Amino acid sequence: MKTLNAIFDAWLDELKMIVKDEGVMLFFLFLPIGYPLIYSWIYNNEVAREVPVVLIDNSHSAKSREFAQKYDASPDVCIAYRSGNMAEAKSLIGRGEAFGIIYIPHDFDKSLGRHTQAHISVYCDMSYMLAYKAIYQTATAVSSEMGSTDVAPLLFEEVPIFNVTGGYGNFIIPGVVILIIQQALLLGVGMIAGTRREKLRYGRALRDQEWKISGMIGHSLAYLMLFSVMLAWITLIVPRIFGFVSLVHGPTLFHFLVPYLLACIFFAITVSSFVRYRESVMLIVVFTSLPMLFLCGLSWPLSNISGFWQGISYAFPSTFGVRGFVRMSSMGAELADVEHEYLGLWIQTIIYFLISCTIYQLRGRFFYKNQDSTTK
Amino acid sequence: MRELFVREIHILLIHPIYLICMVVMPLFVTFFFTSLMEEGVPTDIPIGIVDLDQTTTTRKLTRMVDAFQSTKVAAHYPTMAEARHAIQKNEIYGFILFPKDMTSDMLAFRQPKMSFYYSSTSMTAGSLIYKDMKTVCTLAAAGVGQGVMQAKGMTPEQIKATLQPIALDTHLIGNPWASYNIYLCFMLIPGTILLLIFLVTVYSLGIEIKFRMRRENDRDNKGWLEMAHGDFGMAIFTKILPQTIVFICVFILVYSYLFGWLHFPHPGGFWRIMLLTTLGVISAQGFGVFIFGLIPSMRMAMSVSSLWGVLSFSMAGTAFPIFAMDAPLQSISWMFPMRHYYLIYQLCILNTYPLTDVLIDIFAMLSLAFLPLLVIKRIEHAFVNYEYEP
Repeated sequence: MKTLNAIFDAWLDELKMIVKDEGVMLFFLFLPIGYPLIYSWIYNNEVAREVPVVLIDNSHSAKSREFAQKYDASPDVCIAYRSGNMAEAKSLIGRGEAFGIIYIPHDFDKSLGRHTQAHISVYCDMSYMLAYKAIYQTATAVSSEMGSTDVAPLLFEEVPIFNVTGGYGNFIIPGVVILIIQQALLLGVGMIAGTRREKLRYGRALRDQEWKISGMIGHSLAYLMLFSVMLAWITLIVPRIFGFVSLVHGPTLFHFLVPYLLACIFFAITVSSFVRYRESVMLIVVFTSLPMLFLCGLSWPLSNISGFWQGISYAFPSTFGVRGFVRMSSMGAELADVEHEYLGLWIQTIIYFLISCTIYQLRGRFFYKNQDSTTK
Repeated sequence: MRELFVREIHILLIHPIYLICMVVMPLFVTFFFTSLMEEGVPTDIPIGIVDLDQTTTTRKLTRMVDAFQSTKVAAHYPTMAEARHAIQKNEIYGFILFPKDMTSDMLAFRQPKMSFYYSSTSMTAGSLIYKDMKTVCTLAAAGVGQGVMQAKGMTPEQIKATLQPIALDTHLIGNPWASYNIYLCFMLIPGTILLLIFLVTVYSLGIEIKFRMRRENDRDNKGWLEMAHGDFGMAIFTKILPQTIVFICVFILVYSYLFGWLHFPHPGGFWRIMLLTTLGVISAQGFGVFIFGLIPSMRMAMSVSSLWGVLSFSMAGTAFPIFAMDAPLQSISWMFPMRHYYLIYQLCILNTYPLTDVLIDIFAMLSLAFLPLLVIKRIEHAFVNYEYEP
């Protein structure tokens, strides 16, 4: 009973501390609520349409005009300029008015008529990936369509599954939002720990139970409470607002996200113990966000990440969380399909829980020892 | 002024957080990203085969797709459902389906249909296997008549012309290897460093107020403002200047690794790189000071800076182009130094367009660098009244 009271007191205390601290409120409320909205807005258009391209047609034939017409008809690109020479086309790209050049040489029609291979040149810069994709893939599609013979012995069909729109938002947002939860926890818990440490240095007394395990459980419950709501917002509501692919099943999601949230909370408590000043945590956490996103295997395929980095990535809950959630949300995977990640999250939860308990025990002993010495 | 300069260097040396954020983190991030993507392009991405036909033709096609650079046949699956399940388990990223009786239908001119399924849930992997699988399917369809054509006595050029009448010559400017390393690292590494510049600038200004409140000031026991003889603008300038020098040196170190060691393409040349670096650093610092001036609370200013910095990665427009975003976002993107940085890099360093093409971006970066002039008074007011809220 006394333990339960202690846990309840710590929980209430933590909530009060969170609410009074506007920096922590920023991370606990604005970050999980606002960031997914901002990111979804940025990628809301999903694809790049009507990318402007310069066409240099030196062939002036019916076939080249047919190519230009079909190319322009594609939704992904639009022939914004027709130029007579390369220099002018290049300067258009330099001014940012176009993103690629299609060059049809003078012997295009002649080659086709003579039954030799005709060439079309595509000049594009890979710096803007979706623009490059649009320009190049449209050129490929048009050229193969124009060149196809009347009767093909074998037909083929391309079927995109799971991310049927091929949209960029669909691909990146599920991963990013799950990572945001971990970062928000790291930042918020780190700040609170820093504040506590600074208060200690000022000699302000802390309550008894803050440094006991019951205190830790109370604090964790406070975070659990807040972030369950945030997770529900992120995983269930945000995809529906923006129309992202969301194939999650309620119970599966719940079973998966509980260990994720617990692992994040205990991970945050572990990391926060290494924080001296409140602000240092922000510097370190913000900087590691992007590397962590890459280690999840979303942008760069998992099969191509070296064993060394994969090993390091296993320390972070977001690695397993993002992978599992993306598969469940974008691909409709069941819990059995993400078994590896699920087990990983539970193992992390247990390990970080034990470490947090140890820290609280040690800290508590340190604190009580100090207090005894000052009162004597 | 010299005293202030020395004082600032003393601060930078004493507190390890500066060393970590200004030197260690940029170097770590450089090493991390370049080693993560050192392959350049992901190769041997696992795919599956669902072969319901089991003939020499399909086995030949399987070997062909395995031989391609981007794909590797990881497993064969008996049914389509199992292959789809394997994608959900992240064992493969796509699969090719050969329908039953494909070869016999093909020879009897019944036009069978083979299909390939690819998952764009990981967009990089999805696009690469799409490219390879489509090539294989096109070759398969086209190659059927190849034997007949050879028997008829057509030359290889004629066969090529029949199979693919219009060929595309792709000229990937600046990055002919289509290396993701080159393409992404120039957004990721400078983006992270600019983010760190935001944070360090705001932190170093805020910490002055914090220390003044706690009276933990410098060894000469003179206050920061007193040393500047009341000229607050000079105080901020001499505070930021050593950091500018350190950051430019760090950038030079990072670039000598990227350009010198890893031989990333940079036809634009050394002086343009130096110009871009200087502009990047001062615009990021200027923006950081401006944010601190708007919100003199260190905690809030750091939060806003980190928000701005992390959004810069998206606002640079590399992965998702800015012209494809909604109009308000396109306007806001002008306020991000990273956006201008990347644009100038792409046009003037990766390609060799004249600097006049990016004059407006240079101007934008200079404006960001001089934004602090608007907020000097506010920072002075905050400092003098030391309004630090713990």
